[in-house]
Amino acid sequence: MNHYFYIDGEGKQKGTFSPEELGREGIKRDTLVWTQGMEQWKRAGETEELNFLFSDTYGRFRTVAEQPSARYGRPGESGQPQALPPMPKSWLTEAILATFLPLLLCSSILSLFGIIAIVHAAQVESSYSRGDYAASLESSRSAAKWTKISLWIAAGWTIFLVILMILLFVFVGSFRGIAEMGDLLNT
Amino acid sequence: MHRVPKTIIGVAAGVLLAAALFIFYTFDPGTHAFFPKCPFLLVSGYKCPGCGSQRAIHSLLHLRIGDALRYNAFVLPALPYIFLGIYLEYFGGKRRFPRIEKLFFGRWSAPVLLFVIIAYWILRNLL
Repeated sequence: MNHYFYIDGEGKQKGTFSPEELGREGIKRDTLVWTQGMEQWKRAGETEELNFLFSDTYGRFRTVAEQPSARYGRPGESGQPQALPPMPKSWLTEAILATFLPLLLCSSILSLFGIIAIVHAAQVESSYSRGDYAASLESSRSAAKWTKISLWIAAGWTIFLVILMILLFVFVGSFRGIAEMGDLLNT
Repeated sequence: MHRVPKTIIGVAAGVLLAAALFIFYTFDPGTHAFFPKCPFLLVSGYKCPGCGSQRAIHSLLHLRIGDALRYNAFVLPALPYIFLGIYLEYFGGKRRFPRIEKLFFGRWSAPVLLFVIIAYWILRNLL
């Protein structure tokens, strides 16, 4: 079962909720929801797992079951914080590597992106241990974004250098002739 | 991007690594002009924490450890660290050695690393 964020009437993001809890929150068919694994926000009515919320039988079942304050005061549930879904990927290892590798490639400016990624990655764990799953997920996505930006630019930079090297070889070759280029390779 | 099979990424990374090792073994970055230069050094005249790492890798591949440390003291410890990180994250090391992961890539490792790098950055330009 997935836990969803949804966007309320005022455009605020709330979450996370299990499908049943979303029902209690009173979401409608056209409420935008998102959960891990979804590419973008979708209408609740178009989300397979949430479809049942809008069936008539479920609506009637809910009004019957929910009337006495059944949600609270059950043994074992009193005051216990709700079990959180597992911690989002922290990206800390990747972020550290994204800070280190550019230094070896002489593109030290890219390390700045890595550092931004590290800052976000560190917040994934601290938010999660505070019980703030939404903030944790948000940090996780930011960390992923900055890590990827850094790595993609690094890849582009490397390809650029390789092309530059090839051009330089051609340039040198046209000056000195192929024979001397062979010498260059052998030294 | 998610649909690219892992083996293709692995093979591409392996080929790139082999090519890089070959280039760094064959050519000395200290004497050949086509190696990338540090933009920070060019602009400011000060060395960045990574300056000298290519010469250090070249020296390491020729087993000249002393030279490597002189060019860039970080390369020698950084290489095993990087491989450790890749192993932990992508080859299941995380589950096998959770305590090592916590120690080297936990919450405090990033600030400590940044501090060490910045200290090295300042010191190598002062001394």
